[in-house]
Amino acid sequence: MATLHVLSHSPFSDGRLSSCLRLLGPADGLLLCGDAVYALQPGTAQRQALELMPAAIGLFALDEDLCARALAAPARVQVVDYPGFVELSCRFDKVNSWL
Amino acid sequence: MTHLSVAGRRIELDKDGYLLALADWSEAVAEALAQQEQLILSAEHWQILHLLRAFYAEFQLSPANRPLIKYVALKLGPEKGNSLHLNLLFKGAPAKLAAKLAGLPKPTNCL
Amino acid sequence: MSKSLLIINRQSPWSGPSAREALDIALAGGAFDLPLGMLFLDDGVFQLAPAQQPSALQQKDLGANLQALPLFGVESLYASTRSLQERGLEQQTLTLAAEVLDDAALSALIDRYDQVITL
Repeated sequence: MATLHVLSHSPFSDGRLSSCLRLLGPADGLLLCGDAVYALQPGTAQRQALELMPAAIGLFALDEDLCARALAAPARVQVVDYPGFVELSCRFDKVNSWL
Repeated sequence: MTHLSVAGRRIELDKDGYLLALADWSEAVAEALAQQEQLILSAEHWQILHLLRAFYAEFQLSPANRPLIKYVALKLGPEKGNSLHLNLLFKGAPAKLAAKLAGLPKPTNCL
Repeated sequence: MSKSLLIINRQSPWSGPSAREALDIALAGGAFDLPLGMLFLDDGVFQLAPAQQPSALQQKDLGANLQALPLFGVESLYASTRSLQERGLEQQTLTLAAEVLDDAALSALIDRYDQVITL
């Protein structure tokens, strides 16, 4: 029952990302949108933690939120648009939105 | 906003006929509320109304039907804590009507 | 068979509406007999701290409301070992009998439920 975890809060002001990373299952995915894409800011512990995630964990970031913030995703992270977001939501057994 | 007059006291009600203030409740107020619902309160009714007030004192909320039945079964046994008994006493809507007569707010999680 | 839902409750009790909203989801779901679980994570564990006095803030007594969860059919209650330890809370003093689980067990717990929501 793999879960797609959806984060939308900045990891610099909030503990959602760190709690989520600790609870990820071996086949889970993580989609960053909104301010959560700041986790990909170069030179930060958050970006490093994401780049070191096991390969089985799918990492995704929403294209328009990256563009708006002038951020570029590392190769480890797959960039998706909104149709991609929908496709991911269907691919996983369930979606856990960290509201 | 409506109100009741009980023994010369004015008791404020909300738009659905529930008491605005929990502390306004008395057995005389319950009798007056029951009269508006064309219901005569028997010992069986009183037992449930007092239990509901105890529920509210403990949990600070009005129960929906299912938890009400569970709580009555827990405290008074399954012959009282079942939907048939409670539906008969309270015209098929035990959570809503019994909460009203016991002076509690309308149950929010009850459709 | 209804789908099971795990509600992850991770906000402190008095700082905003999230704790109350998580409880409302549980009470509404319980009234419909949905198979529900509730996990207290991060600051959510503060909801289970003993001897709180919400009346000082003119707030409703969330702690008393939480005690009603088993009567609403929500009997699967969990708390994170790490969240409790980080915040200096002891399992024995919690106001609800929640099963305390480490990170690996929580990961497995989330996996078991059909649906999950985090507030």
